[in-house]
Amino acid sequence: MSADDLALALLVAACAAMRGAGLFVAGRLGADHPFVRWAASVAMATLAAFVTLAVVAPTGSLTLIPWQGRVAGFCAAMGVLAWRGGLFAPLMAGLAATLLVAMLV
Amino acid sequence: MDAPPGRGQHAGMSFRPACREALGVPALAMAATFLAFGAAVQAAGFGLGWAIAASLFVYGMPGQLVLLAALGTPGGALPAVAGAVAANARFVPMAVALAPWLGGGPRRFLALPFIAVTPWAMAMRRLPAVPVERRLAWFLGFGLTSWTVAGLSTLVGHLVAPLLDIWFLAALLFVNPLYFGLILASDLGQPFVRRAAILGVAAAPLAFVLPAAWALLGAGLVGGTLAFLWSRHVGR
Repeated sequence: MSADDLALALLVAACAAMRGAGLFVAGRLGADHPFVRWAASVAMATLAAFVTLAVVAPTGSLTLIPWQGRVAGFCAAMGVLAWRGGLFAPLMAGLAATLLVAMLV
Repeated sequence: MDAPPGRGQHAGMSFRPACREALGVPALAMAATFLAFGAAVQAAGFGLGWAIAASLFVYGMPGQLVLLAALGTPGGALPAVAGAVAANARFVPMAVALAPWLGGGPRRFLALPFIAVTPWAMAMRRLPAVPVERRLAWFLGFGLTSWTVAGLSTLVGHLVAPLLDIWFLAALLFVNPLYFGLILASDLGQPFVRRAAILGVAAAPLAFVLPAAWALLGAGLVGGTLAFLWSRHVGR
């Protein structure tokens, strides 16, 4: 097994352990238990931070998209969500605005 | 008079609609992201098997991307794994938050491979309205479908990578945060979600001072804990 394969195997095992630990610990708790509420709050805040960083200060491939394109895409998606609701139209509007503005900049 | 549906029929009544729901916008977001990942793996010189194993068995994009990037740099496999584990450490609070909705028996562990942001976020929206006996089936239907889409998209991405422009792949990756932003924004009417979202956004700058691998989880821990305390303070 190569080092790259070993790294992947270790990560797979760690991810399964993290998921399993969460299911094991909270399986007998109610959805309104403070520990469960705290965990849900942390998970949602993590998601919000992820979205914020991806739009404002991304790393990796996302840096190839100019910030104007990322912000325009995000604003367009939110605007269409507020206007029409749903997920498909806002997502397509966001992607279209991202591509359009990125090409113009 | 028709007999009441049995346990298996109850499960089927939730499994299939969940599969259909997963094949809508969630599949689009998953496909875009995992297609881009498959192409990135191919560009980095890793094989198709490695790409599909990463997508199906890690099934957490931040960790997958961290591992892929770190394996190409000096320092060995262990630091790469540690960084990727930290990037995916949100699986713990996600699984904790999800577990009570899946029932208390050992069958809830069937959901283990499918716990990822997209199924989790949709489950937290849908499961409260799904009858108790159908919740696990709903999650398995949604999760299995999303998981399959992720694997197939990785396969396609790896195969068509030479045809794709890197800029196009970046745009595909951006579908993912857009989709998660829309899910969060759709639920801002719930005070609990609103507080977590506001304080998660406010805590995001912590990512600039924390080690890169821990940045996201650190911001989520601070923002989420403050949101939790805020909710307890106001009583809901």
